[in-house]
Amino acid sequence: MDNKLSLELKHISKTFPGVKALNDVSFSAQPGKVCGIVGVNGAGKSTLMNILGGIHQPDEGGEIFINGEKVVIADPKASTELGVAFIQQEVQAFDTMNVYENILAADLNKWRKKHSLALDRAAMKKEAQVHLDALDSHIDVDAPVYTLTVGDKQIIQIARALSQGGRILLFDEPTSSLSDHEVAMLFGVVRRLKEQGYIIFYISHFLDEIFELCDNVVILRDGQLVDQAEISDINKEQLVEMMLGYQIEGNTHSREHAQDEVIFKAEHISGEKLPRDFSFELHKGEILGVWGLLGSGRSELFNTILGIDKMMDGKLFFKQDGELKEITQKDFYKHIGYLTEGRHYDGLFLNMPICQNITSSDLDQFAAKGTGILNPAKEHVESRKLIEQVGVKTPDENVKVSKLSGGNQQKVIVAKWFLKDPEILFMDEPTKGVDVGAKNEIKELIFDKAEKGTSFVVISSELEEIMSLCDRIIVIYEGRLVGEVQKADFSKESLMKGIVSQEDKDAE
Amino acid sequence: MSEKLKRFTSNNKQLLIMLGVIAVVFIILSLTVPNFSTARNLTNLLQQIAPIAVMACGATYVLVIGGMDISNPAVMAASAVVGVYYMTTGGGNLVLGTILIVLTGTFLGLINGFAIAKLKMVPMVVTLSMMTIGTGLATILSGTRGLPILPASFSNVLNKTVVIIILLVVMIVMDFILTGTKFGRKLYYIGNNARTARISGIDSENITMFTYAISGMCAGIAGVINTASIATARANMGPQSQILDIISAAVIGGVSPNGGSGRVRDAVLGAVLIVGLNNVMNLLAVSDYYTTLIKGGIIIGAMGLASYRQQQAAKRGV
Repeated sequence: MDNKLSLELKHISKTFPGVKALNDVSFSAQPGKVCGIVGVNGAGKSTLMNILGGIHQPDEGGEIFINGEKVVIADPKASTELGVAFIQQEVQAFDTMNVYENILAADLNKWRKKHSLALDRAAMKKEAQVHLDALDSHIDVDAPVYTLTVGDKQIIQIARALSQGGRILLFDEPTSSLSDHEVAMLFGVVRRLKEQGYIIFYISHFLDEIFELCDNVVILRDGQLVDQAEISDINKEQLVEMMLGYQIEGNTHSREHAQDEVIFKAEHISGEKLPRDFSFELHKGEILGVWGLLGSGRSELFNTILGIDKMMDGKLFFKQDGELKEITQKDFYKHIGYLTEGRHYDGLFLNMPICQNITSSDLDQFAAKGTGILNPAKEHVESRKLIEQVGVKTPDENVKVSKLSGGNQQKVIVAKWFLKDPEILFMDEPTKGVDVGAKNEIKELIFDKAEKGTSFVVISSELEEIMSLCDRIIVIYEGRLVGEVQKADFSKESLMKGIVSQEDKDAE
Repeated sequence: MSEKLKRFTSNNKQLLIMLGVIAVVFIILSLTVPNFSTARNLTNLLQQIAPIAVMACGATYVLVIGGMDISNPAVMAASAVVGVYYMTTGGGNLVLGTILIVLTGTFLGLINGFAIAKLKMVPMVVTLSMMTIGTGLATILSGTRGLPILPASFSNVLNKTVVIIILLVVMIVMDFILTGTKFGRKLYYIGNNARTARISGIDSENITMFTYAISGMCAGIAGVINTASIATARANMGPQSQILDIISAAVIGGVSPNGGSGRVRDAVLGAVLIVGLNNVMNLLAVSDYYTTLIKGGIIIGAMGLASYRQQQAAKRGV
């Protein structure tokens, strides 16, 4: 790799109608270093990436230098040609095709045999192998991609970026769907690339990852560069404060969860694959955590109980008229809210206004009995109230949800379920892809609601979060209940105990 | 006041554009095409528009939930033939026969809906099959010699004025249900994101089924209108190519083929444009061969323009 590889941004601003997304941002990156980019949602990270990717043009006066030369990144193609490559959060792959086809998908023309339409597959495999070797990966080039793990698919994305001549690599939240083991593998790859002299940017909400992997960090807030600091010069508290512009107060809620009233009971729940024979109880006003590793059947447990996936066996009991009675899934759904893991996939109506998103959970509140005629004025009033209550940052309730930042979108979903005000709220990763500030706010909202008597069942893969949020945690492993830990005994060890003993059993 | 006006224009952009286009085209045609603006031609025109427009109303519902129903013209013909068969050969009552036409359409639509919503079949495949079923049913019942002519009282009651009133009532009622009621809002939710709709506790299955039934009902109503204008029913009264007119009326009216947006009244205006185009080419004595060619070109052009405008709006909004 040539030595003169460099990237420098000077006075980059970007104005959208009504918003200054970036304001005079300048920084540079050196090869052989991993540069973290952090900031809360809406700080300008995505805009910065879109400018480097050629999707947006910076305002007049902003300059980008690559290898010392001033460049204009007019479109995504120009960006690729300049050696800029993105490794996305959501893995983009052609699942039914082979590994080598995926790696070389971008420029198949190059691999055509002379005077023929056929592809030179032998040469393609060789080339793909070169890139995989460079990443020290043992993935078989012939394997169909659907047989691979998410982590391996991530590696293929990186190999694809390299095959296109990528030398400035931008990792955008690459670990959000990876297991611990896969994260470690990915970090190994990133370090290897760093040694080979690539310029690497690493965007993540997980600050621990920034401290583990990055050499320096660019901090953005409200479109402005707060600082570009050497990672060794700062600590986590300082970083959070620079991102937010204020200090986070410690958790003010010292909840005494003392209600013994069982409001819901699941017995012997089994799905088609996962979960298996899973039973638990939920108390009124309790925040119950469900903890397990990726693939342990956490989300499947929710989907099976709520009838999104097929329930093969099991019974649900719900407290009605002071008595715990068996209830059908359909009737149970009327009493619950379900915040899913995939915000865009099944959480929001992206092209509809905030207002109609919020009211979608319980239209009956706004419809005349019998005729079903809606009262839009009431919809607007109620959704404005909720927007204020959960703190969605928006000019008004008519804005399309797709225009909001990730954290604000998540708050819209919270607002949507608060509107219905169900007895039980199921939440699958309620703070996934949300910045530290919004994370805290969502947690506070959950505490408030629980104090008023709503029960929560929460999945989170972040240990710290689930331990600070929940009153009690049940542990799931391969779809089975393997442990239950009370608040007083929360620790990583106590949660892992159930899993470890189960793994030992499996080993025998 | 100006704020209110602004809100009104931005909420009803599509309507205003459509009205503007129709007005401009109308003025040009009145000035240039002989016989266009005669009362006779205009009532004829409205009568021709009515069946297409009514079916475009149903198509709007289906498109809004992100579905597709190409069986409409065939269902229309089948319903009309079933009803007329009952009224003539079966010696049935005219009023009951009219109701039978609408019910047959609704029933065939319900079968579409059942297959799509409950059996999870692909809309295109289901309604394509229903298209051949409908044509087959109509051909069998009308036989080689065709059905007899209905008593004159049928067409006298369902005269041009009544037909236009039917169209207006269908349009106003269906537009209101879509935009002003719980049921209508749920259609938008489903079309926007069916998975989110399900998680939000919306009974997508039944609503989808009803939507296709409504589309069939509209085909039935169109069947009544067409029966009134020819005083009988034939298998070929709903040529399969008519589905292009219906769907493009809706799409030119701003109904998104991707689901989640659009209004019934704008689709009706789209039908006015599409059928008006046929009428004008007729008046200008353009050969049938060229008519289809020109119409296809204009439809693609108009839809392309709509799609381009959407993209631009999305870009500006980032």
